[in-house]
This record gives sequence, structure tokens and C-alpha cells, in this order.
Amino acid sequence: MTSKVGEYEDVPEDESRLTEENVSVPEEEVEDEDEEEDDDDDHIYINEETESGREKVLVSHAPQERIVPPLNFCPVERYLYRSGQPSPVNFPFLLNLKLKTIIWLSNEEPQDTLLEFCDTHRINLQFAAINPDAGEDDNPWDGLTEHSIINVLQTIVTQENYPLLVCCGMGRHRTGTVIGCLRRIMGWNLASVSEEYRRFTGSRGGRILVELLIEAFDTNLVKIDKNKAPSWLLTALE
Amino acid sequence: MKYIPPLNFSPVVSTDVSLYRSGYPMPLNYSFIKHQLHLKTIIYIGDKDRPLEEYQSFLESEKIKYYHIFMDSSRDEGIQERMNQVLHLVLDVRNYPILVHSNKGKHRVGVVVGIIRKLLQGWSTAGIYQEYGLFSGGMKDGVDLEFITMFETNLKIPRNVIPGFAKHCLYLNELEAAEGSDDESGSESILTAKQPI
Repeated sequence: MTSKVGEYEDVPEDESRLTEENVSVPEEEVEDEDEEEDDDDDHIYINEETESGREKVLVSHAPQERIVPPLNFCPVERYLYRSGQPSPVNFPFLLNLKLKTIIWLSNEEPQDTLLEFCDTHRINLQFAAINPDAGEDDNPWDGLTEHSIINVLQTIVTQENYPLLVCCGMGRHRTGTVIGCLRRIMGWNLASVSEEYRRFTGSRGGRILVELLIEAFDTNLVKIDKNKAPSWLLTALE
Repeated sequence: MKYIPPLNFSPVVSTDVSLYRSGYPMPLNYSFIKHQLHLKTIIYIGDKDRPLEEYQSFLESEKIKYYHIFMDSSRDEGIQERMNQVLHLVLDVRNYPILVHSNKGKHRVGVVVGIIRKLLQGWSTAGIYQEYGLFSGGMKDGVDLEFITMFETNLKIPRNVIPGFAKHCLYLNELEAAEGSDDESGSESILTAKQPI
């Protein structure tokens, strides 16, 4: 597994190796290529022109190496994602997201493999207990406390933590609570917030407790610094 | 101000470009679309020939390019060609932000998103099925899933218009093609111009 993860991480290196060794560029075109590289950093491995003119890419079938999204994975906003607990099979997928922060909504530590993964790739893993004040009386099926929700949302409304993944065991109720409260901050109407929450709750459906928490959440409790907030949030607050 | 997103609304890609999915936008959703999404393009995948009158005037006043790709189901004759049309639109960075919608945002959009996940992002089949199920309310249409799984195409897209989210996967594909065989006739990619070992 680790070697596979390494492969993905090293893609930029592979790209440069490829340009040097595997791609033969007719000599008179080398100068052109250098100029183009200066123009556009996104195209390190791309030679824009071939002898036939503008180069085209063939789109035909899926690559042999497929990436596996975590359970209940979905984009939420720009560079903000939600999911269930990622396992090693999802790590190549997560690397593609270039995450800076993972918020883990649980009283228990995630699997060691995820801890190691975050460590290796310098991803900031933020623990958010369901009820930080309850000590040992805490139950995983309890709703998140207001205190806990606010804490997590403070991280989400700060651009420097992005790209960001919010996750819990199954990516259903705890993640759904946090995202639901975020949608309320963004001014979504309650029926739409519930629709989104229920989409991820599986065959047993949504919990009334979670929807009540979302409805009762006081959105003014989250302090948004306009200079540090993601732009999509500012657009929603206009 | 309350924002009401369209039924089954969600981002599909939310990185360098924004691609959204949803059901048919109704007048109560227009404010959300106008103020939150700033769309350049809407692709309607469905069977209604004309947009509703209010919708038409909304699209005009917002100067949103509207494409109707006819689709009844993934069993349609000519579905391959229509999916190719969708892919051409989605593979051009100049069309973004894009909203792809059907009537309920379940099955038809689910097929389109599944194909994008597979061909342009290299998602596993299980991941694609799961996402399809999230938006269809757990209903798994076997024909749709089989269609996504079997779908292949043959498009040539100018490299400089391909959106960033698709680059990594297409690059892996080129690598595989370059390593796969000595038969270089099939691809125009420069990556196949491998030095002899």
C-alpha cells in the first residue's frame, strides 16, 4: 500500500522524468517548448504543439488504476468535501484531493492507518469530540453539542485550512449535522438542508434529533472573519 | 434572504472549475442559481423539448448558454453520440461554471456523472455506483449502471481546453497507452513517442 501511495505522491517527478527521457522532441522545437513552459506552470509535461498543429488528447476509456472514493464521499463547496472514515484503499483518492485538513468527528481515534497517512502527508487531522464536556458518559449515537459544532465550523469558515475533508464513521449523521449547520449559515432554506442531510443517511433515513439540532443552531455563534473566509462563503453571505 | 437550491442539487466537481448537478430548476430556485452559482452553461439532459417559458426568459436575462441533450433513458438509440456531446461540453474549460440537470436529478444526470467519474477522474465502479445510489434514493437502475460500466468512447480533445480536474486521469491513461504496447498508430499523443529501450 505504501509504495502505491508513494507513486501517486511522486507524480510531478514522474512527469519531469517523462519529459526528459521518454519524449523525443525534434531539436528545432526544443526552444519553443521551453518558452511555453514559462507561460504556463500547469502544463509541465505538456508540449502544446506537435508537427500536426495543436495537440489533442484521446478520451476513450477509464485508466487501469482506478481510485476509490471513501464511503458517502461528496463535494460540498469548492475544495470542501464530506465522507465516511477513509480506509487505506481510499488513500490514493485522498491524495488527489491534496488535502490540508481532515476533521474527524468522533470520540474515538480513527484507525492507525489514517493517523499514519495524515502524518506522512502532513495533513492536519483535527479531532472533534461529539461532546467534549461529557467525559466518559459520552455516547457515539448522541448528537453533537453546540460547542462541538461551533468548533468545527470555525475551522470550515477559515480558508487557510483548505482543501478540507469533514468525516465521521459513516459520513451520515455527525458529518450531516455540521454540513447542515454550514448550509444554514449560507442562507439555505430548511427543507433543502434536510434534503441534503437525508441523502446521505442510508436506508434507515434521517434522525429527527439531527434535524432539530440543525434547525435550532444559532448561526450567529460562528464568527466569520471576512478576510479569512472562503470566497464562496462570502458570496453566500452577501 | 433564503436560498432554495434546486432539487437534488450538489457540486460534482468543486476544484479548479465548478460543475453542478440538480433536478429541473423552478422559479423559486432562480435566485439561488443567479446569486450563488454564476453559471455560464446549463446542460439539460432530458425529454422535454422546450424549456418552460419562465425558464427560457431566466436563461436569457442571465445570459446562460443552454444546451438540450435529448435523453429518455440509457437504452435510447443514439445515446452514445449524445453522451459524446455532453463530454465535449464538460471537457472545455471555457464553458464553466456548468450545471447539468435532468428532471429530478436522479437517473439521467446520474448516468452523465457516472461517465465523468469513470473516464475523466478514474473512479472505481463501486464508488460510481454508490454515488448514483445517493442521488437516486437508493434505487439502482441496473441498465444505467451497466451502461456506465460498459461506456467507452473515442474523442480527441485539444489539450489546452481540458479542465484541471480531468488532467491527472487522462495523463495516467496516456502513460498506460505509452507503456502498453509498441503499437503507436492508435494514439496521437506525444507520450507514445517512446525511446527504444
